[in-house]
Amino acid sequence: MTHLVLDRLTRRFPGAAQAAVAGISLELPKGALLALLGPSGCGKTTTLRMIAGLEKPDEGRVLVAGRDVTALPPHRRNMGVVFQSYALFPHMSAAGNVAFGLEMRGVARAERAERVRQALALVGLEELAARRPRQLSGGQQQRVALARALAIQPDLLLLDEPLSALDAKLREGVRDEIRALQQRVGATTVFVTHDQTEALAMADLVAVMNQGRVEQLASPEEVFERPATRFVATFVGRAARLSGQVEAPGTIRCGEALLRAAETPATGAVEIFIRPHHVRPVAAAENLLPARVLRRTYTGEVVSLECETPAGRLLAELPGGVPEARATAGDTLSLGFAAADLRVFPA
Amino acid sequence: MSAWLLMLPAVLLMAAGFLYPVALLARISLNRTNDMGAMEPAHSLETLGRLVEDEFTWELAWNTATLAASSALMATALALPVALLIRGAAPRWRGLLSLMAVAPLLVSGTARIVGWMAILGDRGLINAVLAGLGLAEEPLRLINNWTGVRIGLVESLMPYACLVLIAGLGRLDARLEEAAATLGATRFRTFLRVTLPLAAPALLAAFLLTFVLGVSAFVTPRLMGGGRVFVVATEIFDLALETVDWPAAAAMAMLLLGALAAAMLLRGLLGRRAA
Repeated sequence: MTHLVLDRLTRRFPGAAQAAVAGISLELPKGALLALLGPSGCGKTTTLRMIAGLEKPDEGRVLVAGRDVTALPPHRRNMGVVFQSYALFPHMSAAGNVAFGLEMRGVARAERAERVRQALALVGLEELAARRPRQLSGGQQQRVALARALAIQPDLLLLDEPLSALDAKLREGVRDEIRALQQRVGATTVFVTHDQTEALAMADLVAVMNQGRVEQLASPEEVFERPATRFVATFVGRAARLSGQVEAPGTIRCGEALLRAAETPATGAVEIFIRPHHVRPVAAAENLLPARVLRRTYTGEVVSLECETPAGRLLAELPGGVPEARATAGDTLSLGFAAADLRVFPA
Repeated sequence: MSAWLLMLPAVLLMAAGFLYPVALLARISLNRTNDMGAMEPAHSLETLGRLVEDEFTWELAWNTATLAASSALMATALALPVALLIRGAAPRWRGLLSLMAVAPLLVSGTARIVGWMAILGDRGLINAVLAGLGLAEEPLRLINNWTGVRIGLVESLMPYACLVLIAGLGRLDARLEEAAATLGATRFRTFLRVTLPLAAPALLAAFLLTFVLGVSAFVTPRLMGGGRVFVVATEIFDLALETVDWPAAAAMAMLLLGALAAAMLLRGLLGRRAA
């Protein structure tokens, strides 16, 4: 069931040449986690702030559970927001922070105490209830912020880069924790991030944003394996980029080589993206190219080979154990990849 | 070492312009005034004791403290909305608005008081308007009394309160107020529960600064009090230049200095306990 609808949501900041958010429309089912993924300045945080009511859209609507909330001020929207800086009230204890939203809702003292305890237990911080934010570590502050947002039983949970202020070491653990918690509580969630790994690992749906627009709205697999636009192909994951010319539908001339692709434009110059893990040292494939190794990078689990081929420079990623992974600069290999694994866009 | 050397001009200036006169004052306060009214060198606390025993001294102290406290309180309260407005303004307007808030400091205090006289006098702007509208039979006494001094003092202290509050509130994270809003707090409750408590240190600092300035204010009580308002600062002036009783003037100044130092010390101790 659709829970959140964004309908042509638009925001232009005064004096800016371009709209920060330019007519975003999307739908999110109840209980799902949507990641707004994009580079800084793509409008993802502005979109989140419009959903929360902290920013007024110039056009468009926000609907939650079928109700138009566009005109409602933030304090009447019932949305739990976790800010990038957490924005915990420094003059209140962890429990005081969590209780604040309940107090504003007029929840009676006894019930409030119980719900605060439950919310803190949910994030495993019952023992630190009396501590002030500055007496807590970054990870603990983040959990208090999460408990505070969840305690009000929000219609929507909104997270603005919640992991960016954490140590790289902590990030992965907290990421999985947030995802598990979100699924346990069943909170419909919108999550803003510029980190593709975070987006792919946590989200049910990923909206890849660029210059105020959604370039692709799809599952993490779809976004990674079948990027819909050139921007998505470059922003998400690594890829070798070749330029070519369509000779006939399904066939592209690329330098001295002819490549076969599942989908191509009818004619004209094109740009081809090939993911390194789709390129394999094989004897037979739909596309097979002789390749000379230019550079080898060993990172333990995978070995990256940068190769010169008649079609251009290709990047191949091999598991560390296979014999071909021992190739060194100057060696010649035979690299193959499937026609379906090429993403072709008009140049 | 070089840092100390760079401080030397400031230290020398302080020593010559502040420490030496204060030391001199302290020395004079130990002198005696003889029956002829002339100063006699002495090392006695007689003058100081005379002042402490005099009820008028305590009346002056009470007048000064209540005037300064009420004026500082009003100046701080009036400066708070100004500082909040400047904090909420677009960044490009903030500089101009801040400048406007402290612009009164660019005008000499005496000139401002002459302006107030034209507004508050018996035939001033306010009374002319009231009389014209037939609202007042007798002119309101707005000057040459405590009311006038308080109005003038509040006005002259406000820019300082603004300066302190603008700086203090500038450090307050606007995200905290947004967080309160998302948690269901109206703007009024956000102000009461989040903005005000977090602004408390800045408010206290603004109050203390304006209080100290109010206690030592001389020009405003002198000129707007019309000779009917007596505070410690005007009394020191009178003792030194009208009565020409230097030991008493010096002793009074030392009492004021001591009281202010004690207040600051207390504030420091309280501040440390709060932190």
